[in-house]
Amino acid sequence: MTTQTLPAETPTTTGVVELSTVSRWYGNVVAVNDISMSLHPGVTGLLGPNGAGKTTVLHMMAGFLAPSRGTVTIDGKPTWRNPAVYRDLGLVTERESVHGYLTARQFVTACAKMQKLRDPAGAAQRALELVEMTDAAERRIETFSKGMRQRTRVAAALVHEPRVLLLDEPFNGMDPRQRMHMMELLHRLGDNGHTILFSSHILEEVEQVAGLVQVIVAGRLAASGDYRKIRRLMTNRPHVFAVRSSDDRRLAVSLIAEKSVAGIEIEATGLTVRASDYGSFTRALPRIALDQGIRLRQVVPSDESLESVFSYLLEG
Amino acid sequence: MTIIVTDGLTKTYGGGVTALADLTVAVDAGVIGLVGANGAGKSTFIKIMLGLLAPSGGSVRVFNLDPVTQTDQVRARVGYMPENDCLPPDVSAAEFVTHLGRMSGLPKTTARERASEALRHVGLYEERYRQIGGYSTGMKQRVKLAQALVHDPDLLLLDEPTNGLDPAGRDAMLSLIHRIGNEFGISVVVCSHLLGEVERICDSLIAIEGGRLLRADRISSMTEASDILAVEVADGTDELAAALEQRGLVVTRDGRMLLVPLESDEAYDRILHAVTDLDLNLHRLDQRRHRVAELFTTKETADV
Repeated sequence: MTTQTLPAETPTTTGVVELSTVSRWYGNVVAVNDISMSLHPGVTGLLGPNGAGKTTVLHMMAGFLAPSRGTVTIDGKPTWRNPAVYRDLGLVTERESVHGYLTARQFVTACAKMQKLRDPAGAAQRALELVEMTDAAERRIETFSKGMRQRTRVAAALVHEPRVLLLDEPFNGMDPRQRMHMMELLHRLGDNGHTILFSSHILEEVEQVAGLVQVIVAGRLAASGDYRKIRRLMTNRPHVFAVRSSDDRRLAVSLIAEKSVAGIEIEATGLTVRASDYGSFTRALPRIALDQGIRLRQVVPSDESLESVFSYLLEG
Repeated sequence: MTIIVTDGLTKTYGGGVTALADLTVAVDAGVIGLVGANGAGKSTFIKIMLGLLAPSGGSVRVFNLDPVTQTDQVRARVGYMPENDCLPPDVSAAEFVTHLGRMSGLPKTTARERASEALRHVGLYEERYRQIGGYSTGMKQRVKLAQALVHDPDLLLLDEPTNGLDPAGRDAMLSLIHRIGNEFGISVVVCSHLLGEVERICDSLIAIEGGRLLRADRISSMTEASDILAVEVADGTDELAAALEQRGLVVTRDGRMLLVPLESDEAYDRILHAVTDLDLNLHRLDQRRHRVAELFTTKETADV
């Protein structure tokens, strides 16, 4: 599979988490191939098809795997063979491995003790408050729903107030309300200045939580940055808009004279406009409508979603 | 055509756990989304429709048959795709689907032909002769769907069909379900947690909460346009917000979007003037639609 690599548009300043020309191979299998990325405070989504190398990247960040080449650092310190890094790092793995016989409070307190915090009980209380689990904190984890278990695990990962939080598929198996709750939590943590990276397959959800994405395809970084800006950089793909107005046909006539318009289709439900130049078209459209005395009722970009950006990246 | 009717359907498990409480619903043919929280009673409902569980109270009819007493007739017309990984690893997909076809009562040769056809429909070609153990998640999901289709049912019950699939795999599975519902004319009940997915492929929706019916309606009536306009520009959102307020519009912000109440058609013109005066890129101008997700945002419970 060939993929087009788009220039990263994130600022070039050093991130909290830095990957520099990182590769990882297992024998002859190259799982991660020459990836450089920096993560900054806020929420970033880690995307890619199954087997693209997402979990390998997360595990290298968490210090579970040594990079075969390159360096992975958090705050300038390598993650591999450096237990001190866990002071700054929280991790929520994909597989659940919590002791069901513990209460949420016992589990989170145990994690606080493991971090040698001075006031484990107080830290546990703060973490449980953060994920809104204080009401159920005295119940055993095995009695929890999937969403409550997941939130307890986030509390445990956050108990020592790390700056970086990594989550592997945190939404798996959650129902709609639990999903919304978790999204809201990630949002809040990102706004509080945590650096959060989470992997997910559900692009609509990533879109709602994170503007920034890192897309890995076949072990390589295919794109990174704000997916809307990534879309703008794909200049070889016309931008498609669905437009409805008080007089579609007359609007189409005026639009086709625009240089930035590559094609228009007239359908019963409105116009489908393909624009070759996003900037000039979106500026020209309202002006033309006003000049012609046509009332614009709807302008909707049809291929700007993360879903289409992602599929364009895969097609290369 | 109504395919499933329940009346006061109740299921209590030993130990006093109530999975379904007085569920009354009539389901029309089409692609139907079944949504609800974990533990809301979706799986229990499916098991009762299949005749795997007997209800504790009330009644259920599937194609006007009683799943408790007419189990065989119901199963002849219903295909079921379970959620969990339940495939034997050491047989090929072709053998497995053929076997299940024979279990449904098809003669040997017919079962083989039907299996071949079902596997082709779900997009498994040469791979079907390999052992299932070596399949990817996407391929396994396809095998599960093929075995549900093999006896040519009139109704499919799919439990979380896109679980574990990556974006491309999800997309393929969703268009497949859409095709089954629309081209083959088989009704499909899809259990899913992903409301966006339900909005995309389903005609109607049943939402269950705590074993009770929360809402049953057509998707189109749940995603009706609201009287709020959403405006999005590439840059300069703040300037636009100020300009709109100057023009007497009430503006609220939602992320990158500005929301403006659509009181009269004149609002459209005012927005357009504001955008052109500031020379901004108009990215989106649209009436906001209601979303299925709103069903679940209204009531917050501590037990989430």
